[in-house]
Amino acid sequence: MYTVFAQTIINGLLLGGVYAAYSAGFSLIFGVMGVVNLAHGELIMLGAFTSYWLFAYFNLDPYLSAPFAMVFLFLFGYVVQKYIINRVIGQPHIMSYILTFGLHLMIANIAIKMWTQDFRSITTSYSGANAAIWGLNIPLARLVTFMVALLVTWVLWFFLMRTETGRAIRATAQDKEVARLMGVDIRNIYAITFGLGAAITGLSGSVMSPFVIISPEMGLEYTIIAFCVVVLGGMGYMPGALVGGLVLGVAQSLAATYLNAGVSVAITFIILFIMLVICPKGILGKGSVA
Amino acid sequence: MNFKIDRIILIMFLGITAALAFLPNFVESEYLLRLITVVIFWIGIAGCWNMMSGYTGYIDFGPVVYFGIGSYVVAIAMTKYGIPFFPSLFISGVISGSVAFLVGIPTLRLKGAYFAIATFAFAEAMKQITLEFDRTFSVSFFQGSDGITLPISGHDNSFFFYCVLPVTFLVMLAHYFIEHSKFGYGLKAIKEAETAAEISGVNTTANKLGAYVSSAFFLGLFGAIEAYWITYITPSDVFNIQKTVQMVIMTLLGGMGTFLGPVIGATFLTLISESLGARFVEYYLIMIGGIIIVAILIMPNGIIGSLKIRKKLRFI
Amino acid sequence: MKFGALAAVQMVSFSLNPGEILGMIGPNGAGKTTLLNCVIGIHKPTSGRIFLNQIDITGMKPHKICRMGLAKTSQIMEPFMAMTVFENVLVGALHGGRMRMRLATEKTEKVIELVGLKQYAYKLSGSIPVPARRRLELARALASGANILLLDENMAGLNPHEIDEALEILKKIRNSGKSLIVIEHIMRVVMGISDRIIVLNYGSKIAEGFPEEVVNDESVIKAYLGDKLTSLKVA
Repeated sequence: MYTVFAQTIINGLLLGGVYAAYSAGFSLIFGVMGVVNLAHGELIMLGAFTSYWLFAYFNLDPYLSAPFAMVFLFLFGYVVQKYIINRVIGQPHIMSYILTFGLHLMIANIAIKMWTQDFRSITTSYSGANAAIWGLNIPLARLVTFMVALLVTWVLWFFLMRTETGRAIRATAQDKEVARLMGVDIRNIYAITFGLGAAITGLSGSVMSPFVIISPEMGLEYTIIAFCVVVLGGMGYMPGALVGGLVLGVAQSLAATYLNAGVSVAITFIILFIMLVICPKGILGKGSVA
Repeated sequence: MNFKIDRIILIMFLGITAALAFLPNFVESEYLLRLITVVIFWIGIAGCWNMMSGYTGYIDFGPVVYFGIGSYVVAIAMTKYGIPFFPSLFISGVISGSVAFLVGIPTLRLKGAYFAIATFAFAEAMKQITLEFDRTFSVSFFQGSDGITLPISGHDNSFFFYCVLPVTFLVMLAHYFIEHSKFGYGLKAIKEAETAAEISGVNTTANKLGAYVSSAFFLGLFGAIEAYWITYITPSDVFNIQKTVQMVIMTLLGGMGTFLGPVIGATFLTLISESLGARFVEYYLIMIGGIIIVAILIMPNGIIGSLKIRKKLRFI
Repeated sequence: MKFGALAAVQMVSFSLNPGEILGMIGPNGAGKTTLLNCVIGIHKPTSGRIFLNQIDITGMKPHKICRMGLAKTSQIMEPFMAMTVFENVLVGALHGGRMRMRLATEKTEKVIELVGLKQYAYKLSGSIPVPARRRLELARALASGANILLLDENMAGLNPHEIDEALEILKKIRNSGKSLIVIEHIMRVVMGISDRIIVLNYGSKIAEGFPEEVVNDESVIKAYLGDKLTSLKVA
């Protein structure tokens, strides 16, 4: 009885850690630019595929290929923001939804063209490995992803608070006109921010690759979860993604154990809806409200 | 001066609708009649979205929920309660509208991205609830992922043509009304500057709710008609987010908050998908993605919106 | 009225008599705009009451307050950009004045004539110059049929000639039996048209009285010019 409950909570926390890992970038991009990036899941997909191909051709371990995924997605994000999304900043927010939705369609379908719709997975020696403690199972690969989520949140926080570029990003997020007057190159800051968001998202895709199914069409589902996570934690508030991820993970896990798996999806959206209506600033009340 | 053009457009619009009413007598090809019906169907649906989001600027990302509710109400009314199609159709609209009323009150307070996400979440939640309701409560009502099969209508395409045409006509008439009424000016004022509208005496809550509920009412009707037409519905079909995306993109291409925007956008996209979709299935979605990106970057006001600005026309 | 822990306006009470022009002055950040926003219902006051003809309107929705006859022009001009000037004013008449289309159209024509916006009537409101936008704000408020107009720096950015014209319009409005509260930094304007003046500083009322009384008030001079001992040296 207690074991089932404890296992459920552990599963929930680990799932939440995974959610947090891939939602942090979404929150960063929204917080700084107000862009709801509907192509977020595609960034995860590209990160996972980077690891997949490096594994398939060079037998490179996903954890070792993570830096490549980060660099690749940073460049990708930088270019996309600089030449495409920057052009709708300041226009009504619907423009950014539609634009990123267009990106989602293009990236996902080009990926299908290149790599077919096949489901793929990376089987490493540790893919199914569990640590057993007091009769509870802890899947190692998820634990690592959880650690990465913590690390990413911490490093990002540190970066935003302590570095020159981080300060420029925060200044831009607060008031882009004033930041511009202070000599911040807004377009460049936006491109760097999107690049950063894409890089940490690619990293998450990469570290998730040992235990998720990789396919060109995987993205949309992840985008939707990232949505929920970020709203729960408070949009634009960085540590919020961690809190939102954990809360959602535990809630889903409990629903899946004690009700059924389908209900846990329903609950996700019901929570999301109720949360927005009652408290759009998120659980901690620190999100930004337009 | 402008009102003259408005009259002309209204007369043209009435004339075209009247002419269309005789169409099934002349069109021999079943395929063509079906295609025309689909185009009119999508004009109506895109129009529903435009009525709400185009005019108020509140981006509804879950309109498909009212479409789905319409489908399910008609299916349940006909199969479980044996109510004939037309009364069921009406009930569908009323229930969709009522749900929109209840959901609108808390949701329409949200602004910007929050409203968009909340409506999206509501639509997905409803989809999951219809999927899981029966299994969770051990009943047989929505029939989960098995879906519901409606009584076979035995009607031909022209029957559905005559179902779709009047509803789309009403939607477009509502557009004309919005363009020329107190209500419509209220909506446009909300879109431009909500606080300024409020202090100028616009009851913003009532106006937004009015637009949201009427949009939902018509979507419910369309959902009901489609359910009867294809006779088999599942939650994943009728609540499919692709429908939402399609409405949004059609309206955006044509021009949000314009009378002709949904007409142009829906016709254009339906014909494109009909001609390209079949032949270049593999590249179709890539192209749609490309069209969206290019359209947003070079023509953010849509075809009609850009024309309006260039020609300084007030109403089209 | 408090924003978080910060009290923006505190313990201010004032009244407006029918047919009166009340000037409201004070340094930047004194809380003038916040105070008027409380009056018309944009902000809900954390404490205090507002009465209009003995009716308590505290906490009412802005559109209701507008329909009861209180309209405000905004300091940051917010025209409905995609609409023509005529339509902008029409919104005020239709919704604020609760008129039918035909009546509202007539009213709008009259108001546009009154504030002298005729030449811009069919231009998009986003495309007209600043002085015209200021008048548009005024016209929209007037069209709602309000008996009390709150003008928040409606003459900011105008040149002396335009100010004279605007003053003429205000006098016409007053003569038609309306009361006004005028926030303005331009002393010539406030002194010239106000029957009474109140002075705010740091969210409190520091003086109230006839124009000539107020300008000689010790605390007012202090608020505006700082301590008398401070002197300016230009080397």
